[in-house]
Amino acid sequence: MAINEEARDAVGDYKAGWHDPENSTIRFDFGLSEKVVRDISALKDEPEWMTEYRVKAYNHFKERPMPSWGNSELLKEIDFEKICYYLRSSKSTETDWEDVPDDIRNTFDRLGIPEAEQKWLSGVTAQYESEAVYHSIREDLESQGVIFLDMDNGLKSHPELVKKWFCSVVPLTDNKFAALNTAVWSGGSFIYVPKGVKVEMPVQAYFRINAKNMGQFERTLIIADEGSSIHYVEGCTAPTYSTDSLHSAVVELVALPGSHIRYSTIQNWSANVYNLVTKRGIAHENATIEWVDGNIGSKLTMKYPAVILKGEGAHAEVISVAYSGQGQHQDAGAKIHHLASNTTSKILSKSISKKGGRGSYRGLVKVSPKAENCKLNVVCDALILDEESRSDTYPTMEVSNPSARCEHEASVSKVSDDQIFYLMSRGHSEEEALAMIVNGFFEPFTKELPMEYAVELNQLMALEMEGSIG
Amino acid sequence: MSELTSMNQYLSYDEPDKSNHLWKYTPWRRIHPTGKIKEMPEMDIPTIEISNLDNSEVPDGIELLENITEIDKDKISDNIAASFLLSSTHSSRWTLSVKSGFIADLPILVDIHCHEGISSLHLELDIGKMAEIEVITRINGNCEWFGLLRTVKIQNGANVNDIVVNLQNGGSLLRFESVDIGRDAQISAGTVSSGSEKTKADLRYFLEEPGSNLKSLGSILSVEKMHLDHHIEILHDSPETQSRLSWHSACSGSSKTIGTGMLRVKDGAIGADAAQIFHNLLLSRDAEADSIPELEVMEHDVVGCGHGTANGPIDEDQKFYLESRGFNPSESKAALIAAFLNTTLSQMGSEKTHQWLVGLLSDELELLV
Repeated sequence: MAINEEARDAVGDYKAGWHDPENSTIRFDFGLSEKVVRDISALKDEPEWMTEYRVKAYNHFKERPMPSWGNSELLKEIDFEKICYYLRSSKSTETDWEDVPDDIRNTFDRLGIPEAEQKWLSGVTAQYESEAVYHSIREDLESQGVIFLDMDNGLKSHPELVKKWFCSVVPLTDNKFAALNTAVWSGGSFIYVPKGVKVEMPVQAYFRINAKNMGQFERTLIIADEGSSIHYVEGCTAPTYSTDSLHSAVVELVALPGSHIRYSTIQNWSANVYNLVTKRGIAHENATIEWVDGNIGSKLTMKYPAVILKGEGAHAEVISVAYSGQGQHQDAGAKIHHLASNTTSKILSKSISKKGGRGSYRGLVKVSPKAENCKLNVVCDALILDEESRSDTYPTMEVSNPSARCEHEASVSKVSDDQIFYLMSRGHSEEEALAMIVNGFFEPFTKELPMEYAVELNQLMALEMEGSIG
Repeated sequence: MSELTSMNQYLSYDEPDKSNHLWKYTPWRRIHPTGKIKEMPEMDIPTIEISNLDNSEVPDGIELLENITEIDKDKISDNIAASFLLSSTHSSRWTLSVKSGFIADLPILVDIHCHEGISSLHLELDIGKMAEIEVITRINGNCEWFGLLRTVKIQNGANVNDIVVNLQNGGSLLRFESVDIGRDAQISAGTVSSGSEKTKADLRYFLEEPGSNLKSLGSILSVEKMHLDHHIEILHDSPETQSRLSWHSACSGSSKTIGTGMLRVKDGAIGADAAQIFHNLLLSRDAEADSIPELEVMEHDVVGCGHGTANGPIDEDQKFYLESRGFNPSESKAALIAAFLNTTLSQMGSEKTHQWLVGLLSDELELLV
């Protein structure tokens, strides 16, 4: 069977583009005000310090201008008064799929989440609109002291841990969208892995927007204590509407000495979603943080996963791929700050632009004056598949220590005629040949993903490549 | 454009935003002659002379004229900077004209001497069709602030080595350049910077005719408290164009070098072949080197577009090798720095030009070691 038929069987035409009738239990009116912020906090019965954080962040959001860099034209089109900032579709977070409302459960069934949980996950959080509707964790992990909760329950059950680390990596004044998230956050994951515990199978969060003009602002905080390790996987989809939705998450990772956090994302929002996300981790002595980041969907993505290498011997890796199709701009990249000596980092970014899509890599690598013997390597490769598309690279390197060894290289090219010819001479059609080359181009990324995700991504890319020839 | 129009335009612009990479590391306020950006100070006029590199008179076919024919304002830096420099150079405009088909035997030296105070000059290079020439523009003197605007027109089929050497003793240099490269013409554009405490350069190259070819080279010696900021923009807007940028900066003391490059390949520039690389050698604890090699590609049918940057200290293995062959530590360091800078210096022009440049920089190299 041809690759593209297999792909279509598997994923359809943006397979996640359907929507369910809206059955909200609580829905806020459109628009943002201090009252909305305080109401969200009151609804969740939060401690006063969190309400104050929210209000401070809201005031900062109001004062902070829109970024003047990136795709400022598209950013200007966001109307913050036409977004719903809180919508709850389920009365509570369930631990059994059978207790989740039927329509929501059907949605997650169609996305394959319960099946994946049984086969290869240590725990799952499923978020629908503003709140988590389902949550579970394997008992053996719970008995080892691993905390895996949705963020609201994390705050209720472990307020001291949340207070210690919340906003410690991404301050509320970091940027306009981090301030917005801090003001109206709802849902997300809270994870604490105790000293020495290694979580062998990944934990997963799945985020789904269903309603029109919805804003989803989940907040994730992961703390890996000394010598521990965890792999967190997140996926996201939304229905296709003619009006825009906004997804603005904040993710904070704290990797304490000797720990290892891998955070994998497959972002497949529909083409009407603005995806403006702040992701950052702090790596202490000999800790490792890895961001594995796939951007396939959305209208505009602005996302630059960052790592602050604070402790000696810490290591960071960012592997990202981006696909930009019709009407899409994937402005993604990475930031690494070498604050300590003997720290190392690696960035690998791959992008494909097609049908007028625009792929941009925007990165910053900084070596501080006191960081001795740092090594870093940045590689960006881009493929442009047709004449309407474009690719940009905006890397910045600031090096203030003479012992640092830093390398950056980037290239933009088209698919080589020789490669297509070779595959066709072995019996493949031109379209199949192109799909194989594209999958090969993304291979350094897919091999880092859990098998099921890698297979789905390959099929998705094969489907996206359909019609690229002729 | 009249002086008054440029001045009025300048005064109407707001201060550029620091999110614009052109002004990120050296804001306009910092390189303005007085720092008061709404002020347009009186400018002195520097002296300008031309000769062959061996001091003999230039041959017929080359002329230095005191006027400028036409200026394409849109090709000079951004609005605020372009209108400032156009206004301030109003009474100091020169054209170096080279006749079509002229082939020079010796490199031409254009000597610009800036006196004390604040001065500026606009120099146009008008290189005729099929001409072949090497032009070295040397900036020296000890003025407080010097603004140099160079507009270069290279007509079809010409072959030019164009080198700018900054040996200004302290002070600040604001240098803007706009280079139009004609059909099948080629230029090797070299920058040697070893003077000025503060430099802001914005160099723009336009490959808007088929077959145009550019090699942009930099050898930057940054010592003591220097702050040297070079921004290079290359536009490919025609089929079969080629560009290469290679920038080598050696930084010592508490100096800072910045290299920002913008390589744009427009839709329709089929067969464009473009590459840029920045190399930085950091020689002291307090030195800093920043690189931003940017790339915007809107044409899919290109030979290749790439960029790279590499920062590092002196290679200890190479140093050890030289010491094992009898060099003392300081000699081996000097040899490696010289070799690093010579990578680009040796490609800037003929052997005569190279020898002249090496002689010029030997004293400066000692400051780096």
